[in-house]
Amino acid sequence: MNFFGYLAGNYTEVLGLTGQHVLLVLTGLALATLIGVPLAVLTYRTAAPRTAVVAAAGILLTIPSYALFGLLITPLGLGTAPSVTALTMYALLPVIRNTIVGLREVDPAVVESARGMGMSRRQVMREIELPIAWPVIITGLRVATQLLLGIAAIAAAVNGPGLGRLILQGLDSAGTPFAVYLALEGILGIVVLAIALDLCFAALNRFTTSRGIRA
Amino acid sequence: MPSAAAADHPMIRLERLTKRYPGQDAAAVDELTLDVPRGEIVCLVGPSGCGKTTTMKLINRLIEPTSGRIYLDGEDVTEADPDQLRRTIGYAIQQTGLFPHRTVAENIATVPRLLGWDKARTTARVEELLDLVGLDPDTYRGRYPKQLSGGQQQRIGVARALAGDPAVMLMDEPFGAIDPLTREALQNEFLRIQSEIKKTIVFVTHDIDEAVKMGDRIAIFAGDGRVVQYDTPEKVLSEPVDDFVADFIGSGAFVKRLTLTRIGDIDPAADWPVVTASDDAEARLSVLAAAESGFAVVLDAERRPTGWLAASLNRGDDRLLGTGLPLLGPAGPDHTLFDALNGMLANSTDVAVVVDDDGRYRGTLTLAAIQTLIHAAPARTGAAGPGGGTAGRTPSEREVR
Amino acid sequence: MALVAPLPETAPSAADTTAASRAGRWLRYAGTPAALLLVLGALALYVGGQDLDRIEERSLNAEYLLSRFTQHLALTAVVVVLILAVAIPLGVLLTRPGARRYAGGVLAVANVGQATPTLGLIVLFAVAFVSWGVHTIAVVAILVYGILPVLRNTMVGLDQVDRAVIESARGMGLTRRQVLWAVELPLAVPVMLAGIRTALVITVGTVALATFIGAGGLGDVISNGIASYRDLVLLSGSVLVAVLALAVDWVAGIVEDVLRPRGV
Repeated sequence: MNFFGYLAGNYTEVLGLTGQHVLLVLTGLALATLIGVPLAVLTYRTAAPRTAVVAAAGILLTIPSYALFGLLITPLGLGTAPSVTALTMYALLPVIRNTIVGLREVDPAVVESARGMGMSRRQVMREIELPIAWPVIITGLRVATQLLLGIAAIAAAVNGPGLGRLILQGLDSAGTPFAVYLALEGILGIVVLAIALDLCFAALNRFTTSRGIRA
Repeated sequence: MPSAAAADHPMIRLERLTKRYPGQDAAAVDELTLDVPRGEIVCLVGPSGCGKTTTMKLINRLIEPTSGRIYLDGEDVTEADPDQLRRTIGYAIQQTGLFPHRTVAENIATVPRLLGWDKARTTARVEELLDLVGLDPDTYRGRYPKQLSGGQQQRIGVARALAGDPAVMLMDEPFGAIDPLTREALQNEFLRIQSEIKKTIVFVTHDIDEAVKMGDRIAIFAGDGRVVQYDTPEKVLSEPVDDFVADFIGSGAFVKRLTLTRIGDIDPAADWPVVTASDDAEARLSVLAAAESGFAVVLDAERRPTGWLAASLNRGDDRLLGTGLPLLGPAGPDHTLFDALNGMLANSTDVAVVVDDDGRYRGTLTLAAIQTLIHAAPARTGAAGPGGGTAGRTPSEREVR
Repeated sequence: MALVAPLPETAPSAADTTAASRAGRWLRYAGTPAALLLVLGALALYVGGQDLDRIEERSLNAEYLLSRFTQHLALTAVVVVLILAVAIPLGVLLTRPGARRYAGGVLAVANVGQATPTLGLIVLFAVAFVSWGVHTIAVVAILVYGILPVLRNTMVGLDQVDRAVIESARGMGLTRRQVLWAVELPLAVPVMLAGIRTALVITVGTVALATFIGAGGLGDVISNGIASYRDLVLLSGSVLVAVLALAVDWVAGIVEDVLRPRGV
């Protein structure tokens, strides 16, 4: 039996795990966005808090994934909870850093003229700064997504959901003819997801970014 | 139009306005008192870091004053809500600050939207302003700032500042980043617009030539946050209060003044008698004999100059008859002394014939007369007389010191 | 802060190189090891204060931990040396005239490689090439993963060297090879160092996954903890791996600062 024959046999399982994988990654990404963007908005203007937030997120990203998953098992148990939490923590740096960079790249003259015409700080942030920083923020989300897709495979090691399960099944069936197929299914599933989600983000960027600031 | 009640206070009054930044000994703006009359352009000019931009930003409170008061149309706005205040003050800056993610129409509609105008009124206002700044609405409405040239962006910046129909406009070197030719065109166009809209405008520039051209009055900042002279351009050029101002004006002060005076505003000399086309040679010779200058102008039936005669012409010379000697282009009321002088130098002559709007003869202008006019002070076109300025330190105080 | 490579569009801004961040750097020089030692001390005290059962003792003894630590460092060192040996010459080669046209393709392949999950790669190599032995498999799989940051930063670093500088060097009579060694590589060093630091931190973290195919390293302690439901072992293993990664990043940061040529 070749790879495709094997895939034809268990494709429903592969699809189900792919769905879990996407859901896991997007949940982590969404949480990181809900935490990271407000943090960036609050800190980007002043050097000390900005540096502190970026450094903290940087430390999280430096902690190896297996160690971070492991650290989270004690408080959160096995399964989905530590997986989502770990992925959220890893996504924070790209999200926060790109939001800060995007906001800081907004031409000060544009902000000044908006203020000079009588927009409140909140209005300037919502109507001017965030929309102009948006392409850079989206790039951060794209980078975070690619990062999370790979790391999410390790969730399976803590009984979490996703395509990592196929990879570990492959490991468990080492020596059988199907081991390679299972590992390949897991890897290719993630690679396909990486390409698909990247295209989704490219489309999202295109449809949500003003024509006036598109490259 | 200003009401009778409104006329007794200036549109903008700054009273002992001071800005100190923490950790700096010198004040950025030091006890500045300045009145900006309704409907005038006041240019704040000075070297970089002199406090002129800070002063402008104090008016719309982008910078909060350390002490002093700001009055707008008689009302103390020093503690007014800054966002509400700014929606009533137009603001245009050198870098334009156009919103790159919004179309030209959306950019112009910014303040109307903040003021809660309905859609129809906003749209109509956008069209009106695009027309006013000379950009076809159908072509430019939907464009983004990056699709415009620098000059066009600057026009949109001015249109956006005018959108809420503010009585007061603040302009920070609005034509500063533009190439000289476009800049000249934009300046002229803006003066034309201002003659229609009659806003009260505070105009910041580091370029004395621009200040002389644009300003009804000029406030010259020294390097230390104080205004050293606040006067009409003519007064500033003819009577700089001190060496700092004289240096700042530079070496071309007299030539600059030539561009300030229009021929229509001067009284030309009447020392050339006139003869008409129908006078015969005898009559012309007797007029010439009586003329102190030794010259006469030949006019047609409409009193338009057609030529000239000199006493040196001999009886029987054909040139004594008809339209006389050929006349070089006469100087009309819209020409400046600079134009007249330029024409004289170009034609190697020392006199120009002056006519009115309809081309009728008014008199003559000689090289010597231009010299006298330039040295006479103050020039007669000025709106304000010697006490018109209320700068922190007036010229007279300075002189007393 | 170490993983700059995944964020290509976020170059650190010039405004951050202020007095504040210089103070921050000194804080990092001294603060990081202090914080890490504090964490290790707390862990040692906590573990020392517990009554360890037999299963816990099997993982939490000095001899075992030292052997896993040594394995971890050895694997990391071998992988990093191989990464440098492959990625730097390849990066130089791909920026030379003639080979430049292949640069885009190689980077694209390397990017796809980056999207593959590390764990998947390690497992796939293990089940597909059983005969290689676990250590070779671990080294190759992890190596593949760390090449990209160094390769990319070498190419970017060399490409950003001012053409005028190269031309003036050529104009003074230096050969292409001399220009590469005397001008281009020194000017590219800061960018290359950033890539190497990234690769180093990625590698230390990825080596923790070698435990899945029985290739050892500190990941073993984490796996033991999970498999035996011993939170104390799990916690110890996780903290040790995290501290090691942060310490390696700290050392790499200092080395980066020291090796960066003055005036660049």
